[in-house]
Parts: sequence; C-alpha cells; structure tokens
Amino acid sequence: MMSFFFVDPEIYRKYKDEVLALSHAVQVDFQEHLPKDQRHPALSDREIGERLGLDERVVREIRCVAERDKYGVEEFEAAVRFKDRACRDYARRGMSAVMKKYVDKSKDRGSDQSE
Amino acid sequence: MSAARPLDFDAARADLDATARRSGALLTGVAAADAFDAAPEGRRPGDVLPRARSVFVLGGAQPRAGDWASPNYQHMEVTTTSDRIQTIALKMAHVIEDRYGYYAVCVPPGVDRGQQPFVSIALAAELAGCGSRSLAGPVLHHEYGFMYYAAIVTTLPLPANRPLDAPACPAPECVDMYAEAGTTPCLKACPIEDGGCLGGRIEDARVAERRYDAARCATRVQNYWVPGFQHALKETLKEPDPEKQKMMLFSSLFTRTLWSMTYSNVSQGQCAECMRVCPVGSARRRKQ
Repeated sequence: MMSFFFVDPEIYRKYKDEVLALSHAVQVDFQEHLPKDQRHPALSDREIGERLGLDERVVREIRCVAERDKYGVEEFEAAVRFKDRACRDYARRGMSAVMKKYVDKSKDRGSDQSE
Repeated sequence: MSAARPLDFDAARADLDATARRSGALLTGVAAADAFDAAPEGRRPGDVLPRARSVFVLGGAQPRAGDWASPNYQHMEVTTTSDRIQTIALKMAHVIEDRYGYYAVCVPPGVDRGQQPFVSIALAAELAGCGSRSLAGPVLHHEYGFMYYAAIVTTLPLPANRPLDAPACPAPECVDMYAEAGTTPCLKACPIEDGGCLGGRIEDARVAERRYDAARCATRVQNYWVPGFQHALKETLKEPDPEKQKMMLFSSLFTRTLWSMTYSNVSQGQCAECMRVCPVGSARRRKQ
C-alpha cells in the first residue's frame, strides 16, 4: 500500500516527454496579451490527460516531477557560477558597457529611460 | 461608513489607492474580474471568490539601487521577496472588508499543489495597467521598471483601469540594440541557446516572439530553495558512504538551501540577472 500518491516510474518514463511538451515547461509565445492567432498557451493538466488518456491527477504528478527532473543538481551548481559571473560583471562595468552606444542614441532622442 | 448609505465607488477607489500608497505601495491599479478571459479555467478571479467584481493590484517592494549595484548577488536572495508587498495586500483586504463591507481575498503569492499560480498576479497587474509583460517575463512599469506585485480579489465593484496602450518593453535602447546586434540586454544575459532561459525576437519595436525555459529558470531563481533542496537531498540519499554523505549534508549547497528556505515562506527571487541589465526604470537605480 502506498504511503502517499505518486506515479509509477514506468508510467512516468512513458509519458514525461509528452506531458512536458504540452505543458508550461518551455513557453513559446505564452503571454496572455498576445493576439489569439499568435499565442500558444499550454494545455491544462485536464486537457493533457484527455489527449493522452490519463487522469488529471496522474498528469499533474508527471508534470511536477518532470519539471523538477529536467535539470539535475549540477544545473543548480551552474546557476551559482552564472549569477556570480553576471553580477560581478555588472558591478564592474555597469549596463553602459553592454549597450552604451544604444543608450547614447536613446539620449539623443530624448528618452528618459536610459542610463 | 454607514452600510445603508449608497457607496461612492469612485471615492472608495481613491481611498483604497491612497491607503495602499501610505502603507508603502509604489502604485495601484484595478482590473475588472471578468477581464481574465486569457487565464485558464480554474485560475480566474471568480474561481477564488464567487461573485468577484474587481482585482485590486499593488506594486512595490523593489530591490534597492544598492542591491542592483552590489557585486554580491546573494544580497538579493534574502532581500527580494514578495512578502513585503503581500503584507500590504493583506492589510488592504482587511480595509475592503471592514471599511466597505465587501468580501476580499488575497491571491496567494505561492503556487497550488500543481505548482501553478492560483490566479496569475502578472496578468492581473497587466490588466490593471500597472505595467506590461517583458521579453524577460516580469511585468515592467515604464518609470519604475521591475517590482513585486500582489492582488486582492473582491466583490467590491471598483472602477477599473485598462492595460497600458504602449508596452514598457522593449525599451528604445533595446530596439536599437536588437536591430544591430540581434539581441537585447536580457537575452544576452541569459540566452536560451547557450544554457540560459530566454529567447525571442523584436519586430516593429514590439516583442514578436518569446521563448522561456521555466525549468532552467527555476534552477537559478529557486537555486537554494525547494527545488535545490530536493535535488541535493536526492543525491545525498543515494550516497552509501557515511563519510561522503556527511560531507554532502554539511556542504555549502545543502546548508545554504536550508537557510534560504527559512528566509521566505512564499516567493523568493534568487536570480535577477535579466532584470539587472534591463534599461526600463534604470534611471531610478542610479545613485551617488
């Protein structure tokens, strides 16, 4: 008897890629303000379930595990290095170093948002 | 205020705006509850509160200019959370119920059992005219740039705002940069094609396409939080050597994750590198 509900690993392996592809995991033109013909909202867990012949709860569990499973612990270590580098780079050079000439051009146009 | 007297909804709106700003909100707005057509079923204001009429949105709790300038990004891990704006929202929900006699529910800033928002606070902020979605994701305000938002769903029929006519993103500088270099500061900081989270295209000075790897973003934004903890625990449980297991349990990643989980019980932003380089609102981040 299960201590709490979780998905059978076989079921997970079989469906995780399809569930991830249909869900919010990688969002392409997801935003609500986009015109209907341009917008690609993800399917809900219920809709994914209807498409794959699975219960909504099973889809939800597969999706939650797959979202976490997509990147391993090494990606969390990489995130630390990424933030260290990006933050120090900004502190040293500032935004102007990234896009100075575009900021200057914007100033010439009288933009009040430039640095 | 007497319950028998007809309520002046314009005056109520002005009072709520003023009260929220006195309490520390940087800006406020109202979205009509029936304007959330684009939200999935089950995640609309009426799903949180039957007979919902309005969503009152508050923005603020920005990182300080010094946080953006610091070479140590770890400051932001513990000082930029949604707690502060959510506290004001809870107060405003009480004001709506006690002063005006209407139901008010704060949209929880966390996620439900499916790891998804109860109601998209970003959509609420956009519909309430508080800002517009950016290529990087967060809702940006023309003048203030990045901030945290909170939302209150209420049966009080407040006069509503409209979404902004012109989006805050892309900034003119980003349009110029994209035209010449094919990228923007946020895309350059975190490119999806090179181990990052963001991709996209600008056409006619508007965002024409956006790609976002939410799972990778979680490794950065929730680096030392629940997702990081789950991964560190999984690796540690696999280790058969007790000595090695101790080294893993007491490691900086494991320890920092546990500390971080005590700092915030709601929503915590541990990566802001796409926003750090964003020109929208950057004038307010410049100090002596």
